Amino acid sequence: MLALDPILEGPLLWTPLFIIIGKVLFIFVVGLVATMFMVWYERKVVSGMQNRIGPNKAGPFGMLQTLADGIKSFFKEDLLPTRADRIVFRLAPFLAFVPAFLLWAVIPLGGDFSNGNDGTVTWFGHVTRVQLADPPVGILWVLAMSSIGVYGIMLAGWSSGSKYPLLGSVRASAQMISYEAALGLSLAAVLLSSGTLSTAGIVAGQNSLVDWNVISTGIVPFVIFLIAVTAELNRPPFDLVEAEQELVGGFNTEYSGIRFALFFLSEFMNVVTMSAIMVTLFLGGPQPLFDIPVIPGALEGTIWFLVKLFAFLYLFVWLRATLPRLRYDQLMDLGWKVLIPISLGWFLLLAALREFSPDGDAAESLRVVVISFVVAVIATGLFAAALKVSARNRAAANQPADNTGVTV
Amino acid sequence: MSQYLPIVVLFILAVLFGVLSFAASRLLAPRRPSIAKEAPYECGIVPSREPPERFPVSFYIVAMLFIMFDIEIIFLYPYAVSHTALGTYGFLAILAFSVVFFATFVYEVARGGLDWGPLQRGRTFTVDAAMVSPERTMTSTIRRVGTDGRLPAPGTEEAA
Repeated sequence: MLALDPILEGPLLWTPLFIIIGKVLFIFVVGLVATMFMVWYERKVVSGMQNRIGPNKAGPFGMLQTLADGIKSFFKEDLLPTRADRIVFRLAPFLAFVPAFLLWAVIPLGGDFSNGNDGTVTWFGHVTRVQLADPPVGILWVLAMSSIGVYGIMLAGWSSGSKYPLLGSVRASAQMISYEAALGLSLAAVLLSSGTLSTAGIVAGQNSLVDWNVISTGIVPFVIFLIAVTAELNRPPFDLVEAEQELVGGFNTEYSGIRFALFFLSEFMNVVTMSAIMVTLFLGGPQPLFDIPVIPGALEGTIWFLVKLFAFLYLFVWLRATLPRLRYDQLMDLGWKVLIPISLGWFLLLAALREFSPDGDAAESLRVVVISFVVAVIATGLFAAALKVSARNRAAANQPADNTGVTV
Repeated sequence: MSQYLPIVVLFILAVLFGVLSFAASRLLAPRRPSIAKEAPYECGIVPSREPPERFPVSFYIVAMLFIMFDIEIIFLYPYAVSHTALGTYGFLAILAFSVVFFATFVYEVARGGLDWGPLQRGRTFTVDAAMVSPERTMTSTIRRVGTDGRLPAPGTEEAA
């Protein structure tokens, strides 16, 4: 099977065991350092966009600012509100940041995928992959972990016993499950073209620019996935969960000290991991665009991965600096009435194309597209009619309210 | 199952990191709780109301719809991964399922299950015109409340 990490197949000897432990420690450190970097990077880039200087005292260019903040949080008093549910309140930070760590496990961080190689490297005489584990259910693992992250936020708000965190967490859970549906549907389009759930397999399938899923699935699933991920991460313009102007701090209002630091950590770690997952799914992960001379293949993959990752990290910061926050009903309308129908329709179009025009023959493809277009028009008409009916019912429900208290 | 071994190790490490952070914070951080510090957050006022225990029903509807969509997604993934093996029959099955699914979704939207926000108080032109008309007097705008059960005002006893 293509999708498994070869080092875990044979009998477990000492050398493979040390390689595994080394990989785990490496991933752990990479996770923490990447998160620290992301916090600094966001503050620095946003301050540049707002004509400020940003952090510049701790370390070169203020790069150690996050470390200083983290150390400070150890020395801060950790309060437990009187009305809080004591067990759940303590558990919630774990539910938020442990899944954030575990997401790193399935991301291919490098490896030689050029010229159709399968991305394995040889370390100390053992063939392995530059990723912690490669279970055959890789993408389902990603979805599962991001779903558990919702529990962390929801329980944090619920257990605080205070009104602002509660409102924030109810909003958060509704928002996150809504966009998870759009996320899952647009992801199905990727699986259609890859034919495997393993992340290494998905990367191996994208071995030239036209095979990158962003192009081979049409640009639509990528755009929907990007929007849905932004909403999943509660990043602006979808940061209603912690809308400062309305909800103080949102779900983590009652958290202080190290507990707050862990929420903060998981939030920024999720930004990095979700960007990495987008790179893996749509931009070919460590697949090179062109061959960099001198540098060996395995290292080259990591360099390409980082380049693509940075593009997404910059994009997220850019969105935050640019876009105003959505209103809650606009957010829900966008998720349910725009993204979900489009992603479902696009998936069916891709499936029909693969089914009835497997060789990409122009005439057959055209026929499928024309039929799909007709079906799409009918579906859009139905949907528009439904929207009209609902708007009319709403207007009718409004009617008596207009005349109360006024005698003409 | 050995593929999951590194994930288990990472899980243990992550939990350990959290536990150690809490332990370190417990040793390093001051503990001087007071009533005011531990009270639920309010913007500078004394907390008066319990947090709400009931929510707008729309949140529940969204949660139920999500379960429906999750089932749809669960159905799509196996098809997407092995669509070559399943062939035309698989495609037709998924298509039929999607059509039924889309029909229920349209019904849901039509019944206003996904409408959000408060009802907008539509103001028609005639109402606005009445509001600014010169005929508005105290007698036309203030609704007289019945005097049942009230003690008569002093001095009006004889008049009534």
